[in-house]
Amino acid sequence: MKRKAIYILLVLAPLFCIFSSLFVGRYALSFDTVTNVLWCKLAGAFCYEAATAQTLVWDIRLPRVLLGGLVGGCLAISGAAFQGLFRNPLVSSGILGVSSGAGFGAALAIILFHGSTIAIYTFAFGFALLAVLASYMIGRVYSTTPSIMLVLGGTIVSSVFAALISFAKYVADPYQELPSIVFWLMGSLATASFTDLAIAGGPMIIGIVGLIGIKWRINVLSMGDREAHALGINLFVDKGLVIIFATLATAGAVCVSGIIGWVGLIIPHICRMLVGNDNRVLIPASLSLGACFLIMVDDAGRIITGGEIPLGILTALIGAPFFVWLLKQTKGGGWS
Amino acid sequence: MTTLLNVEGAGFSYSKEGTAIFQDIGFTVEKGQVFCLLGPNGCGKTSLLDCILGLYKLNRGSIYIQGRNMKSFKPGQIAQYIAYVPQRHEGSFPYTVMEMVQMGRAAYTDRFSSPSAEDKKIAREALELVGLSHLRHRPFTQLSGGESQLVMIARALAQKTPMIVMDEPTSHLDFRHEIVVLETIVHLVKNSGVSIVMATHFPNHVFYFDNQELPAVCALMHMQGFLAMGRAGEVLNEQNMRKLYGVNTRLIKVPWDQERDLRHLVPVNTAATEV
Repeated sequence: MKRKAIYILLVLAPLFCIFSSLFVGRYALSFDTVTNVLWCKLAGAFCYEAATAQTLVWDIRLPRVLLGGLVGGCLAISGAAFQGLFRNPLVSSGILGVSSGAGFGAALAIILFHGSTIAIYTFAFGFALLAVLASYMIGRVYSTTPSIMLVLGGTIVSSVFAALISFAKYVADPYQELPSIVFWLMGSLATASFTDLAIAGGPMIIGIVGLIGIKWRINVLSMGDREAHALGINLFVDKGLVIIFATLATAGAVCVSGIIGWVGLIIPHICRMLVGNDNRVLIPASLSLGACFLIMVDDAGRIITGGEIPLGILTALIGAPFFVWLLKQTKGGGWS
Repeated sequence: MTTLLNVEGAGFSYSKEGTAIFQDIGFTVEKGQVFCLLGPNGCGKTSLLDCILGLYKLNRGSIYIQGRNMKSFKPGQIAQYIAYVPQRHEGSFPYTVMEMVQMGRAAYTDRFSSPSAEDKKIAREALELVGLSHLRHRPFTQLSGGESQLVMIARALAQKTPMIVMDEPTSHLDFRHEIVVLETIVHLVKNSGVSIVMATHFPNHVFYFDNQELPAVCALMHMQGFLAMGRAGEVLNEQNMRKLYGVNTRLIKVPWDQERDLRHLVPVNTAATEV
C-alpha cells in the first residue's frame, strides 16, 4: 500500500511541476488564461485569449517545460541505471562518454555547418552513440565486458573527446562559433520547441520505457558479473540492453539540451535516500524527481535574471546545497 | 541414487596457449551428497567451480547436469539446476535482506518483469529456512559476516535448485558462525535433499560432515589434478596433508558417543620441503 502511494506521488509530482511552471516567467499570466489556452488547444476549440498569451503558453513555455521534464528524467534515470550496472554510486549518466561525445559532435556541427540546429542534433546524437560504442569495444575482453573495463573504456573515451572539444574550440572562429560552442556545452532549454520534442522525444521515450521495463534486472546485475550469471542472467543481453536504453535516453536528452551535469549523479542519490536502493522503485523515482528538478531549476533560471543563466551552472549551484542538506537529514540513508 | 553432476576429463586454461589450470579431472555428485574440494591457494578450485557454474567453458572434457551436456543449456538455464554461494558478497548498495533473497528468483523471472507474489513467497520461505526472517527489512550491508552468509544461502535456496555450489563459504567467519553455516548446510542436505559442492580451506570441514553422518566425499586438488578422492577417512591422512599443503599434521581421534569417534587433523608444523 505504501508503495502504491509512492507511485501515485511519482506520477503526480511532475504533472504538478509542468502545470505550475507555465505561470513562471517575465510575463505574468493568470490561472484562467493558462487553463483556457491549454483547454482550447487540447480540445481544438477556438481560443478567446490574446495571441501573446497563446504563443507564450502553448509555443514557448509548454514545450520548454515538457522538454525540461523529459531531459531531467532521462539524465536521472540513466544515471540510476548506470550506478546499478557498474555497482558504483559515483557513476553518472555520462560515464560511458555520452556527454563528451555529444559535446564534440555539437562543436563539430557548429564549426562545419554554422550552427544549423538539425546538424547539431544529428552530430551530437551520433557522436554520443559513437562514444558509447567505443567505450564498449575497449571494455570488451575475453568476449565478456567486465564492469571495471567498461568504466575504464568510458574514462578513456571521455578524455579523448574532451581533448577534441578543446581542439574544436581552439580552431573555432572566436567571434561566432566559439561562444556558441561554450554556451552549448553549458546546457540550455531556452530555444525549446515542439520540433525539438518531436526529434529527441523518440530516443528518450524508448530509453525511459526500456529502463522501466528492465528495472528489476538492474538489481540482479548489481550483484556483480559472477553472481548475476549464477542467478541466471544472460549478462551479454541484459548488460547490453541497459547500456542501449540508458544511452538512447541520455543521448536524446543531451543533443537537445547541451551538457547538463550533476542531474544524473545527484537525483539517483537523493532517490536512494528517499525510497531505498531497490531499482523497482528507484528507477521510476529517479525519472520523476529528475523531471521535477530540471523543470524547477529551469524556472529559476528564467526568473533570477532577465538573461538566461545556463542550466549546467544552476543544476550544480542549486543541487549541491540541497544534496548536502538531505545528506545531513538522512545521515546517508544506509550508506556509510 | 540419481547423479546430479558428472564431470568427465575436464581440462581448463584461461587462454588457448596458456598453461592448464587443471586437466583430466573427473567426478560425480549424487543427490543429497556433499562434495568438498580441498587444495592450496591457487590450485584451481575456484576455476573448477566457475566451469561448473558455466561462467567459463572447459577446453577439454564435458560437464553433464542430470545427464544433459552443459553445452546444450541456454544462458541462464543452468541457474535452474545450480545455485551459487560466494565466498563473500561484495555488495555496494544497501539492499534489504528480502530484496537480496528475491534475486534468487531471477532465473524464473522474465527480463522485463519483477518477482511475482509466488516468487516473494518462495523467498520468504527460504529466509525462514535459514532462520533469519526477523532480519528481512534490514539493509544487507549492516549484517554481520555470518548473517550475510546465511542470506546468501537463503538466496541460493530461493533458486530452488537440486545443487548449490559454495566457494569457501566460511573463510571469513568467526568460530561460532563457521559452525552455524556448516550446521545449516547439514540441515539442508538432510531435510531438503540438496547436494552441495563446496570448496574449502579446512580439511576438518569434511570430518565435520562425516561426524554428522553426511555422505561427504572430498577431492584433494593438486598439480592440475586430483591427488586423491574419497570419503574423509580414506583420503584425509597425514601423508596426503603433507603432499597437498606441505604441512605436518596429526590425525587425532577422541571418543564422542558409544559408537563413534570424533576425528580431527591437527597441524604440527610446515614440512621441511614443500612438495
